[in-house]
This record gives sequence, C-alpha cells and structure tokens, in this order.
Amino acid sequence: MAVQGEKRSNPLIAGAFFVALALIWEFSVRWFGVKAYLLPSLSDIGVAFWDARGLLLEHGLVTLGEVLSGFVAAAVLGVALAALIHVVPIARSTLYPMVIALQSIPKIGLAPLMVVWLGYGFGSKLVMAFLFAFFPIVIATLGGLAGVPANLEEHFRALGAGRWTMFRRLQVPAAMPNFMDGCKVAMPLAVIGAIVGEFVGSNNGLGNVILLATGSSQTALTFAALLAVTLLSLAMFYIVELVSKFIWWRAI
Amino acid sequence: MTEMAIRVDGLTKYYGGAGGTKALEDVDLGIGDCEFVSIIGPSGCGKSTLLRILAGLHGHDSGTATLFGEAVTAPRDDVGVVFQTSNLLPWLTVTRNLTLALEIRHGKAAAAAADVAAMIELLNLKGFEDKFPHELSGGMKHRVAIGQALMQNPRVLLMDEPFGALDALTRDRLNIELLRLWQRDRKTVVLITHSISEAVLLSDRVLVLSERPGRLIADIRIDLPRPRDPSTTRDLPAFGDHVVELSRIMGVV
Repeated sequence: MAVQGEKRSNPLIAGAFFVALALIWEFSVRWFGVKAYLLPSLSDIGVAFWDARGLLLEHGLVTLGEVLSGFVAAAVLGVALAALIHVVPIARSTLYPMVIALQSIPKIGLAPLMVVWLGYGFGSKLVMAFLFAFFPIVIATLGGLAGVPANLEEHFRALGAGRWTMFRRLQVPAAMPNFMDGCKVAMPLAVIGAIVGEFVGSNNGLGNVILLATGSSQTALTFAALLAVTLLSLAMFYIVELVSKFIWWRAI
Repeated sequence: MTEMAIRVDGLTKYYGGAGGTKALEDVDLGIGDCEFVSIIGPSGCGKSTLLRILAGLHGHDSGTATLFGEAVTAPRDDVGVVFQTSNLLPWLTVTRNLTLALEIRHGKAAAAAADVAAMIELLNLKGFEDKFPHELSGGMKHRVAIGQALMQNPRVLLMDEPFGALDALTRDRLNIELLRLWQRDRKTVVLITHSISEAVLLSDRVLVLSERPGRLIADIRIDLPRPRDPSTTRDLPAFGDHVVELSRIMGVV
C-alpha cells in the first residue's frame, strides 16, 4: 500500500502506454499511407530485423568489439591519468588544463582525421569510442579522488599511513563509486563514438549498415540497425550497472 | 609518582603560523603512565588542537611536547587515536575495520594474527563481525572505532570527543564500556570532552582550558573510588561537588 505522496511507477500503466504508442505508430502509418521509405510500420521493422538478423549480428559484433576496446582503453588510461593528476602537482597544473581543453573539442570533428590517420578499419573506430568515453571517466575519477573526506585522511595519517598506503587503501576505494558513475556515462558515449567512426569511413559495423541501408532507401533496415545499436548500448550499460552493484558503498 | 607518559612544556600554537590566531598559549601539563585524564574547555579553546599535537598530526610553534621522553614529531605506533567521527571504512566489514589500524601499521600478517574474536566479545558486537558500517547504529560504529584503536594495544589512547555526536543514552552506555575497558587495560588515556559530568565520571584528573587562546586554568584531581559506574558514582556527594567546582571554573554556574 503506497503512502500518500510516495512515488510509485505502475508497470501496468507503463506497459499500456507503450503498447498504445506502438499501435498508434503501426496503424497511423497504414491509414495515412505513409511511404515505407519515409517511415515503415513497426511490423515492417520487426520483419526487417528478423530477416537481417545474421547481418545485424555479424556487424553488431564488429561494433561491439570497437566499443569494448575503446571503453576498456578509456577506463584504464582514464583512471591512470586521473591518478597522475591527483598525485603529481606538476600534472595538475599541466595535464589537467590540457584535458579540459581537449574535452572541449567536438569529438565528432575528429572522426575524419582518425580515418586519415588510422584507415577504414578497426583502429579509427577504437580511437573514436575511446575519445568519447575517456573524458567522463577522467573527470568522475578525479572528483572521487579529490572528494575523500578529510576526517578519513586524517585518520589514516594518525595511523602513520604513507602516501602510497593512503592512495591504495583509502583514495582508490573511496573513488570507486565515482569511477563507476563515470563508466555509466562513458559506455553509451563509447557506442556513439564507434558509430560516428563507422559513419565517416568503414567497411563494416552497424554504423556502416545504417549508412548503406539509408543510401539504398531500405528504411526498415535502417530502423532495424538502429534498434540493434540501441540494444547493444542498453546491454553494455546494463553490464556496467551490474558491475557497479559490487561497488555498493556510496558517499561516506 | 608514576613515570610520565606525556609532558607538555610551554606549548604555544598559532593557526596559520606565527602572527596568525593564537590557539594555545604556554600550556604546561604532565600525564602519568596509566592515568585517565580529561581535558575540558569551551568550544574553540584549542583542546582538539592540543590532542592533535600529541598525536603528531599538527606541529606547534614553541615549547615542547614529549611522549615517554621523546619529542612528538610524527604519529607514533604506540599511540591510538579515536576521533569524534567513527572514521570506519564503509567498504570493510566490522572485522576488517577492527584490524585496519594493525594492518596499516604492521602489515597484513599482524592483522591476520590479531584476536578479533576477543575484541568482538569485549565490545559486545557478537553477530556483527561481517556487517558493514552502514548496517550499524551510531553507538556501535563508535565501539568499533574504539576497538580499532585498542587492537593496536597502544600505550596511550587519545580520544577527541569520541561520543560528541551521540545521543545522551548511547553516550552513557559507551561511557560504561569505556570505564570497563580502561579498568581492564589501564592505558594512559587523554579524553577531550565538553561534558563536565563525563569528565568527572571517567577521569583521575580533569584539566580545564580557558577560552582561546587555550591556557591551562585548572588541574582537578578526581578522587572518586574505582571501579566506577554511572548509576552509582553519580549519586556520590563528591561527584556533585566536583561537577559544581568544574562548572564554576568554566563559568557555567
């Protein structure tokens, strides 16, 4: 029994809402005779998704590989850079402003350059996924490292902890929740980065499928590929969410 | 006269270096080995600063502070500090929090060899060994914090208003526990508090600091019989006399 004022989401109402939306889409496309190359009906998209399942899986795995490698590189290097900036004063006054400056570059604009430098293959997509995912992880981790409560740092000092012990036993675990938050922001961005990379120049991947399908007016396939990208992104986000359950401690 | 555990001579401390706000002025005091001494004073009188100087966390501007004849220059392994906040690590269980100080000072082997079960027993925390701090009440967290300090078996225990943030009832219970622990181990204890009755109940001596800059304005011996117990000791006429005397010194009455 919900107390008055308590917010509850009713799964029945949510379900009914989305079913209604789907029905409106399906039937308005039919009734108003919308051309299939502009907006296919939901059932057409479903059929296209099923028919192209082999193709979508094949290219989805390519995109997944790009996303995962870019994300892992961003997580590893992002944490390393955040730690460096936090620990080394010179890095704070040199690398940190540089990170902020680089962060401000519209990363989409770098995609053609990456294709020029690294070619049409895997490398340029990895770097694009990395570029999109990197900064949120650096910024979030830095925030976590800097936000360790002063009373805990004093407690560690009273225990005679050196800087390394303080870092390893206090600052790193204390910054973990922030790092995970950064990962949650970064994962969908890594997917965007990989797709952008594929748009600019590629031979495969879901971004490539979207480009080719749109180019040949196979709009239902475009939607099916978009659906595949969305599912991929959701699945990746959910995995990060699952991992972050292990870092259950929050602000102290 | 027992051996002096703590000696402070002419201790002066400024915040923000000489020329800044004077926190402590020319403080002299001696605390014997195995003595339980409370330091009371109004807010901002520098009593916490004094404790942090003894803990090796803050420096000072003139005078000397020595523990067992050695000048305090850094945190020492034979000193346990208990702060106002329990300072438990939220990602460690009660057991791991209890052995944390040992682990940091002496390594994993020392922590693994420690008799945690006995400490759990002593602190009445049976059944909570594998709980995390957020699953404990405020009073329990503070018991773990004190346990962590005791696990190091320190010669000196420095406590900075360890129960200051707790409600009166919990505070009373922890005072009983603290009395019990001290009567068993007889460590040198310096307790910072702003509660006169707590100071009288627990201490052999109560030192009073003045308003900032903190100066030692009274050194009162509390000759109530031990073992003490809040329920009976507070009814002794001498207890009331001491409380009145200290209140008068602090200008509360």
